[in-house]
Amino acid sequence: MNRKVKWGLLGAGFVFLALYPHVFGIYFSNFFITFAIVALFAVSYNLLLGYTGLLSFGHAIFFGAGGYGTALALEHIKGLPLIPALLIGIFSAAFLALILCPIVARVKDAAFAMLHLAFNYIMYVMVLKLRNITGGEDGIAGYNIPSLSIPGIVCFDMTNPVSFFYFAVVILGLGIWLAWFLTKTPFGQIIVGIRDNDMRVDYMGFRVVPTKAVVYIFSAAFAGLAGSMSALFQNMIAAEGSVDIAHAFQPILATIVGGASSFFGPIAGAGIFAILEELTSRFTERVELVNGIVLIVVIMYFPSGFIGLVRFIRKKMLSKWIEKRAMEELP
Amino acid sequence: MDRKKGDGGTSVNILETKRLFHDFKGLKVLFDVNLQVEEGERHAIIGPNGAGKTTLFNVITGTYTPSDGAIIFKNRDITGAGPYEILRHGIGRSFQITNTFRDMTTFQNIRLAVLSKKGIRFNIFHKIDKMREIKEETDRILKWIGLYEERDIHAGKLSYGKQRSLEIGLALSTDPELVMLDEPTAGMSKDETHDAVEKIKRLTEGKTVVVIEHDMDVVFSLADRITVLHHGTILATGSPREIRENQRVKDAYLGAMED
Repeated sequence: MNRKVKWGLLGAGFVFLALYPHVFGIYFSNFFITFAIVALFAVSYNLLLGYTGLLSFGHAIFFGAGGYGTALALEHIKGLPLIPALLIGIFSAAFLALILCPIVARVKDAAFAMLHLAFNYIMYVMVLKLRNITGGEDGIAGYNIPSLSIPGIVCFDMTNPVSFFYFAVVILGLGIWLAWFLTKTPFGQIIVGIRDNDMRVDYMGFRVVPTKAVVYIFSAAFAGLAGSMSALFQNMIAAEGSVDIAHAFQPILATIVGGASSFFGPIAGAGIFAILEELTSRFTERVELVNGIVLIVVIMYFPSGFIGLVRFIRKKMLSKWIEKRAMEELP
Repeated sequence: MDRKKGDGGTSVNILETKRLFHDFKGLKVLFDVNLQVEEGERHAIIGPNGAGKTTLFNVITGTYTPSDGAIIFKNRDITGAGPYEILRHGIGRSFQITNTFRDMTTFQNIRLAVLSKKGIRFNIFHKIDKMREIKEETDRILKWIGLYEERDIHAGKLSYGKQRSLEIGLALSTDPELVMLDEPTAGMSKDETHDAVEKIKRLTEGKTVVVIEHDMDVVFSLADRITVLHHGTILATGSPREIRENQRVKDAYLGAMED
């Protein structure tokens, strides 16, 4: 893809998003925000699975830490502005990762996956039991959502759905862009090396454990941002939909169905599930059943996910095109 | 290549193991190994299967901590250091079983080594594709090790010979002072082996090399000095000629092979 096409697409996307709430209305604006939150959550997850080769069954702890961090801060701190509330969410998740990383950065494969399943369950139970802090099953709701204001210049009312849409798109887009940038840096190459052959990375002079710890904390911070945005968007947070096990599997579904081998796979996966859930929920409440079937079909027939399928088709078309060109060029 | 051999007093040992012992749960694999590698030489380690050659490599390069004894590199005690520290001290190694980054391209493989050499480890502020110096250095190394044509092919999809080249290339790209090659010609045909030996000679010019090798032709054409390891202990050390004429070595190892 050359530069002009790239900028053109970026511009078109920008215009599309700018017009989106006015064209599609509030309902689909909220639909888009829900999708974008899952997309960032899945992208943060793929930093571990796709890039570092770490399968986690408990990434929801960071989403929850971010969500509860922001919700509790807004509930207890009077007059807390919007961006600090967001940062508190991000830092809560990163701090949780910092506490866990001395253990988890030293393990991989099944141990990593199962440890996280355990952590996730512990956090879920804690959220349910520590009622006086977390509100138990009801969660925390109705806290004040501050306006986004730069004193003396502008002030956006975040309870206005259209304003919030723009805010969410900018913040979530920024989050996804930062995660993408991370994968393009030298550090991003070293974590891919760890996925591929962690032992050789060690013999090449890189410290595997600290490197894994750093990517783990970044991944947690991005998941925390997704959780924090969710808390702001919903104006509530509860165990269900944040730290429950089903929610821990949401990014796994999106990543596998979209394709873990590409940065954009999880975003595609999040989009597929957003549309799928929107459609199935009109006919049945058994949304998980349909999601599960889709997951099974993808694993069985397109193990490299949606992105893998796109690549495959593109390759087929390209080779056909080359063949055709070759035929035409024959005398 | 003529040089003073084995008389310790005039030449400098770059690597030395002192009374090195290693055992796996009671099984003695290394027993009182005193290896001495002089600066600038090519030193071969030979010995029958199970003699402890690879274990010796693993102990020196930090895979295992020796049960007893010391490893001295450039007058510094590096006993018990981890693999990444060993590399940073200036020892690079290759593996008997190809151990590259299979899902990364040849270019990306070497680029990791270049990052390591430049000490770039936690850089999260620059795009790697925009780091010109890294790219140029990687391409230079690819040409040097003869894999430039294959730069965009995934390492796992290279031919066996090329994979072996990449294996050695990875060990050399960090520009170590001491290179430890574990059977660089393992699994190669006669012709491939010949080419590989020439390549190793060219690539390790001016470096100290320790090489484990089974092929005696390779050993005698490559090595300035040879250490024979047998049942985890050093049987003899000396020039190829000395080793060839050593009665104990003949009895234990060479005799059986040359018959």
